[in-house]
Amino acid sequence: MVDVALQGTGISAVDQVDRARVLQRLRLGDVVFRHITRAAALAVLIILGGIIVSLVLGSLPALRTFGVSFLYEEVWNPVTEKFGAIAPIYGTIVTSLIAMLIAVPVGLFIALFLTELCPMWLRRPIGIAIELLAGIPSIIYGIWGLFVFAPFLQQHVQPFLIELFGNIPLLSILFAGPPYGIGIFTAGLILAIMVLPFITSISRDVFEAVPPVLKEAAYGLGCTTWEVARYVVLPYTRVGVIGGIMLGLGRALGETMAVTFVIGNAHRISGSLLAPGTTISATIANEFTEAVGDLYTSALIALGLILFVITFIVLAIARLLLMRLNARVGG
Amino acid sequence: MSVAAITVPTVTHTPGNAEDLAEKISIRDLNFFYGDHRALKDISVPLYQGKVTAFIGPSGCGKSTLLRILNRMYDLYPNQRATGYVRLDNDDILSPSQDLNLLRAKVGMVFQKPTPFPMTIFENIAFGIRLYERLPRAELEDRVKHALERAALWEEVKDKLSANGLSLSGGQQQRLCIARTVAVRPEVILFDEPCSALDPISTAKIEELIDELKDDYTIAIVTHNMQQAARVSDFTAFMYLGDLVEFGETTRIFTTPNDRRTQDYITGRFG
Amino acid sequence: MNSSLQTKRRRRNVITMALAYAATGFSLTWLVVILAVLLWEGFSGLSLSVFTEMTPPPGSAGGLLNPIAGSLVMTTIAVLIGTPLGMLAGTYMAEYGRYDKLTTVVRFINDILLSAPSIVVGLFIYEVMVASMGHFSGWAGAISLAVIVVPVVVRTTEDMLTLVPDTLREAAASIGLPRSLMIQKVAYRAARAGMVTGVLLAVARISGETAPLLFTALNNQFWSTNLNAPVASLPVVIFQFALSPYHDWQKLAWTGALIITLAVLALSIIARILAAQRRSS
Repeated sequence: MVDVALQGTGISAVDQVDRARVLQRLRLGDVVFRHITRAAALAVLIILGGIIVSLVLGSLPALRTFGVSFLYEEVWNPVTEKFGAIAPIYGTIVTSLIAMLIAVPVGLFIALFLTELCPMWLRRPIGIAIELLAGIPSIIYGIWGLFVFAPFLQQHVQPFLIELFGNIPLLSILFAGPPYGIGIFTAGLILAIMVLPFITSISRDVFEAVPPVLKEAAYGLGCTTWEVARYVVLPYTRVGVIGGIMLGLGRALGETMAVTFVIGNAHRISGSLLAPGTTISATIANEFTEAVGDLYTSALIALGLILFVITFIVLAIARLLLMRLNARVGG
Repeated sequence: MSVAAITVPTVTHTPGNAEDLAEKISIRDLNFFYGDHRALKDISVPLYQGKVTAFIGPSGCGKSTLLRILNRMYDLYPNQRATGYVRLDNDDILSPSQDLNLLRAKVGMVFQKPTPFPMTIFENIAFGIRLYERLPRAELEDRVKHALERAALWEEVKDKLSANGLSLSGGQQQRLCIARTVAVRPEVILFDEPCSALDPISTAKIEELIDELKDDYTIAIVTHNMQQAARVSDFTAFMYLGDLVEFGETTRIFTTPNDRRTQDYITGRFG
Repeated sequence: MNSSLQTKRRRRNVITMALAYAATGFSLTWLVVILAVLLWEGFSGLSLSVFTEMTPPPGSAGGLLNPIAGSLVMTTIAVLIGTPLGMLAGTYMAEYGRYDKLTTVVRFINDILLSAPSIVVGLFIYEVMVASMGHFSGWAGAISLAVIVVPVVVRTTEDMLTLVPDTLREAAASIGLPRSLMIQKVAYRAARAGMVTGVLLAVARISGETAPLLFTALNNQFWSTNLNAPVASLPVVIFQFALSPYHDWQKLAWTGALIITLAVLALSIIARILAAQRRSS
C-alpha cells in the first residue's frame, strides 16, 4: 500500500496545482521568446540576402548593357554612357597588394616582438597602442593622408624613389614621375598602416597560443629566437596567420575613406605606381551622389557588386581557415 | 579492471520495516544513452520516501548520470536519451509530455560546484519563490529567512542579505544553493557530490544539514566519499560501469555486502 | 662547432630582432604622428562656437552643431535598432540554437558581414530605402548604421553568453525556471558587462563611418529635425570640407576629425575598463 507521499514535504496538493498553473502561463512567453530569437538569427541571413539581391538587381541594367566587357574596359565616360570597371578593379587590387606587402611582414615582426622580445610590463601598453591604430576612423586617415602624408611623400620620398629606380628596367616604369604625392602608391601605404593592427593582433594571439613546451624544446637545442620563430612558431601558427592575413586583405579591399582622399580619382591604369588611379570604393564614394542617369548609377552599383563578391570570397576563406584552426585547437 | 563474468545484479532490499516504506521514486529497467553509447544498463532501484539514498561507485560508473535523469537535466543537451520507467509518485518522469519545469520544481538539485546566481543573497532565494507565488514583501522575507534557516545559513548572513551571493565562502555558497533549492519547496532533493569542492568543516556542516532535511524531503546523494555515504545515508546503491551492482540498507552494505565487487570497492581495493 | 655558421646564425638573429624592434617602432611612430597632427590641427580650431554654430558657407566662420547633432541622432537610432536585434540573434546562437546547424551558418555569415565593406551597406540601403522612397533621409542613414551595428553585437553577445558556465544554467533549470526566464534573468545578468562592452564597441565603430552615410543621409547645411530628409553628419561634413579648397572649411574638418577621434577613444577606454572589471570579478 503506497502511502500518499505528501506528508512532510512542506507543500500542499493545492499549491502544486497553483504552481502548475503559473508554469502553464509562463509557457507562452517562453515559446514566444524562443521564436523571436530564432527570427532575429534568421534576420542576419536576410540582411546578407538583401545585400546580394539589391546589388544584383541594381547592377542588372549596366551588366545587361555592357556584358562581360564591363570587367575589362577602361573607358569611364558618363557623357557617352560608356563604362568599364578595369581601372577601379585594378586600383583596388594593387593598393591592397601594396598594403599587404608592407603590412604582413611588419605585422608579423611586431607580433614576434610582442611575444618574444618585449618586456612584460610594456606588452599591454604597446598592444593597446597598436589597437588604437585600428580604432582610428578611416576618415581620419584620409584627411591626414591628404594634408600631411601625401605632401610629405611628394616632397621627400617620391623624388627619391624616382631617381633611385630611374635606371633599373622594370622598376623605372613602376616608379616613374612626376611625383604627384597622391596616387596608388600613397593609398597603398596608408592602407598598410590601417591593416597593420589587424594582422598584428591576430598573429599575436596565435603566437601566444603556441604551447611553451614546443618553444622550450627548440631553445633547449640552442636555437636562436629567430630560429624558434621561423621553424617552430610560424609553421605551428600557419593557419591562423593566413586567416589573419586574409582578414586584413578583406578590409583593405573594402576600405573607402582613407583611399578616396589620396588616390587621385583618375579612371585609368598607369604604368607607374606613383600616378593617380582609383579604386572601386573611391569611385562609388566620389561619384554616386552626382550620378545622373540610370545607367551611370547602375554601373556604380555593379562596381559595388564586384567589390562585394571579391571581399566575400576573401573573407569566407579567412573564416574557414580560422574555423579550422579553432577546431584543431579543440575549441 | 575487468569483471570475470556478467553477473546478475544483486538488488536486495531488506529494510527493517518494509511496510512503512513508500517508494517516492521508482526506477525500473532504466537505460541511458549518450549518442550510441549506453551509459546506464537496466537500472532498477527505489528511492524511499523520507530517506537518504546514497549512490556510490568509482568514477564513470554512471551515478551522476542517474541522478540527472531524475530531474530531466539531460534534456538541456542534444544526443542524450533515457528509456525505461521512472516514476515520481504516479507521475512518469520520462514521458515526453512531462512538464519539465514543474518536475524540476518538485525535484530540486544541488550541484558539485556551488553556483549562486549573480544576485544578492536575498534575491538568490527570493528569485525562485517569486517565480511561483506573488507574496507581499513581509511574507517573502519570512520565506527567505526560513529557507536560510533550514540551510543553517541564516545566522551568518542575516546582516548582509544585500551582499552579492558570490561574496560568500565556498561552504556558505553551497548552503545558499541548498537554501535556494529548499525555498521552492520540492519533494525530492538530489545532491550531486555536494561536498567535493568544499573543506572538511563545510562538509561536516552540510552532512548535518542533510540529516535534518530528510525529515521533510526524500534525498538522493551521489558521492565518491564512502565514509560520507556511510555517515549520511539510510540506503546505499553501489554502481559499477553503468550497472547497479547492489542496493540495500547502508549498515548492511558496508558491513556485509553480498557482491564481491561491492566488497572490493568498500575495502578500497579499487576506486 | 662550425664557427662561421655560428656567426652567421647569430648575425641573422640580431638582424631579425632588430627588424622586430624597428617594425614596432615604425607603427608606433605612425600612431604618434597621426595623433599629434590631429591634435595640432584640430585643437587650434576647437572653441565653443564649434558646438554652438551651424556649418558656415565658405569664407565665413561657423561651427559643427548640425553635423554633431545629426551624428548623435543617427547613431542613437542605429544603436536602438541594431542592439536588440543583434542581442536576440546572439541569444539564439548561444542558448537555444547552440547545437543547431542554423547557428553555424549564421555565425559564418555574421563574421563576413562584420568585415564587409561599409560602402556596400550604403548601396544596399540606398536601393532599399532611398530609391524606393524617392529621397535621401536621416532614417536611411540610421538604418545603414544599424546594419553595421548588428554583426558586432551578435558576435559579442554570442561570445559573452557562451562564457556563462553551464552549471549556472543547470542551477536555474533545477528550480524549474523556464528557459526564457533563465536566459533573461540569469544568463543576461551574468554576461551583462561583456554585452555592454560590445555595444560600446559598436558605437565606436559607427561613429567614424562615412561611406554608408554618403548616399543615404546625404548632407544638410542647415539645422534640421526632419529625419525624413537629408541629415548632416560629422563624417560626411568632414569629407566635404576637407576636399574643398576653402581654408576655414578645412580647419573645421580637422576639428571635426579630432572630435570624432576623441569620442571613439573615450568609448574604447570605457569598454576596456569594463572588460578589466569583469575580468577581476
